[in-house]
Amino acid sequence: MTSSRALVPLLAAAALVAGCRTHESAPAAKTRLVFRYQPLGPDPEPLRALVAAFERETGFEVALQALPNAADLAHQLLVTSLGAGGEDLDVFVLDVVWVAELARAGWLADVSGAFPPARVRADFLGGAAAAVVQGERTFAVPWYVDVGLLYYRTDLVPEPPRTYAALAAAIRAAQARSPGIAGYLWQGRQYEGLSCVFFEALWGHGGAALEGERLRLDTAEARAALSWLRGLVAEGLSPPWVATAAEEEARRAFQEGRAAFMRNWPYAWPLLQEPASPVRGRVGVAPLPGAQGPSPGALGGWQLGISSGAPPARRAAAERLVAHLTSPEANAVLAIAYGRNPARRTAYDDARVRGEAPFIAALLPRVEDARPRPVTPYYMLAADALQGELSAAVSGLRPPTEALARAQAQLDAIAGVTR
Amino acid sequence: MSGTAERRLGAALVAPAGAALAVVALFPLVATAWLSLRHRVPVLGQDRFVGLANYRALAADARFWGALENTAYFTALAVTLELLLAVPLALALHHVSRGREALRAAVLVPWILPTVVAAKLWALLLQPDLGLVARLWPGGAAAVLARPALALHAAILVDVWKTTPFVALLLLAGLQSIPEDLARAARVDGASPLRTFRSITLPLLRPAVLLALLFRSLDAFRVFDVVFVLTGGGPGHTTEPLSLYAYKTLLRAGSFGLGAAISLVTFLCVVAIGLAWLRALGERSPREPPP
Repeated sequence: MTSSRALVPLLAAAALVAGCRTHESAPAAKTRLVFRYQPLGPDPEPLRALVAAFERETGFEVALQALPNAADLAHQLLVTSLGAGGEDLDVFVLDVVWVAELARAGWLADVSGAFPPARVRADFLGGAAAAVVQGERTFAVPWYVDVGLLYYRTDLVPEPPRTYAALAAAIRAAQARSPGIAGYLWQGRQYEGLSCVFFEALWGHGGAALEGERLRLDTAEARAALSWLRGLVAEGLSPPWVATAAEEEARRAFQEGRAAFMRNWPYAWPLLQEPASPVRGRVGVAPLPGAQGPSPGALGGWQLGISSGAPPARRAAAERLVAHLTSPEANAVLAIAYGRNPARRTAYDDARVRGEAPFIAALLPRVEDARPRPVTPYYMLAADALQGELSAAVSGLRPPTEALARAQAQLDAIAGVTR
Repeated sequence: MSGTAERRLGAALVAPAGAALAVVALFPLVATAWLSLRHRVPVLGQDRFVGLANYRALAADARFWGALENTAYFTALAVTLELLLAVPLALALHHVSRGREALRAAVLVPWILPTVVAAKLWALLLQPDLGLVARLWPGGAAAVLARPALALHAAILVDVWKTTPFVALLLLAGLQSIPEDLARAARVDGASPLRTFRSITLPLLRPAVLLALLFRSLDAFRVFDVVFVLTGGGPGHTTEPLSLYAYKTLLRAGSFGLGAAISLVTFLCVVAIGLAWLRALGERSPREPPP
């Protein structure tokens, strides 16, 4: 198993060498594509079947190469390959925040020919289209999407709060009825999840992070957003340990029945509804609250891109593979088999999705409103500096105003150095 | 064989090892040093020589000084605690007669665990909502890892828990090399066990202690996995050691020149620590054991 996987790059290299040597008169070998992806779930079969269908249809061969599940490790591996010329991969998955960076580096093939921007905007959800279309050119195709949601306990909360004030009131009421219960759980650990939570709070306060190409965090809205997050902890609306929580810490505590509210991604829903789950049947999902009314959730999710270093002979085949994997049919398979939200609008009307994954079909309004984190090539550089300061504010190390000032200074230094 | 010929043969015999060292140790070091003089961000297509600009940037970088302080504090406290706990542990292992093998195996369990596993285990124990430590903590759920004052100490605790057995094992080897006759002679002279320990065991244990200090301080200064798993460097970089800062800068942010500069500073610190301990080791202990 492992030995055959280790052989793949060798074979690919051999195929390349052989490819260089073949005479035009020699019979063409099968076109072989390398697809690097992250495992979508415990069962690889549905994805394999999708790929096998493509192989039957086209006569091409597809080599599946798994990437690590941790986003930053996957990023590291892809950047290493792409930086070295990107000849050892054709199609690969990318996180929504990498598109701008990899496109600017020139490592993503421009696929506007096969996927014109106007078509992408018509077929795919707004946030996902905005993430892959840059300067009227398409650099990747949305595969599936993710969105920040508000989970709440239907037995403790009569109806989901639409504003921050209503959230606080609902928590106080729930705590009065069941003492000792935590209020609002979210991701406050120093990592990318905290960035998502912060940008959601920023949008909820009517702010925006980008001013042209510049990341602006020294704004009144940003200060209000970070002060609100810190206030949740300081005022006991969130337990102090949210400052160390990632998705799973929050989900486990919520599933144990220890909290009234939680901010999390859609993946938590099927787990909360498992037969053994203590809160099964007592959980509702709503849009995240905002200062004036519901606010958009952060858009997560993955796209498919094509390496600009892949030989042109394989480019057309790679585009066909991307088209196949992002088709309405594939969207439905991913939704039903893996619980991934389709990136195509039409998939939400698909009868199979509505029948077999009703929760996902019902999320259409949420994913339509979802917003991508700031689309900037410096995002990965900026995120590291930002996370540290956000974490410092949330854990009470520094006042939010000071943390944001420090973050802004670092962001400006990054932008200055990188111009 | 004349002296020069012998020296030449010696040099020839050592050459392969020297070449291997040059390839695996010296070359990466020189490459890192060279890289640290450049501004290189592959994703942005930037690669230019900037001289000492990266080092100047670090000198003005509060996060760097914080990371240096965290690393130094972690090393000093962790190694001190490990040594203090390892001495009685080693003595116990040395003097116990029945079930020595079983006891030694039991003591070694934390050391056998991969650090990542040990860190994950403690992360679960310290998890405020469900963790055992939180349950037992006076006043209910304590967010140990969320409190800047406590988080780094939690990482030190994990390191101490995991590595004390290793230090004890090093000291045990030292204890077992002390001739029995000395202790017996002291007993004949009417020395109390405490006096025997102070005047005979401890001085003769000195090389083993210094060796343990050398090993552990070099190791602790490069701490990565414990913190990576436990806190990811948070809250607000308060637990971030140099190695983690270098990793994030190099691989997550993709800024290779600056990351190389942080790595090189870490390396120089480790060399300085190593030289200091080696010098201490080189000094002859007051009473050398008879050959």
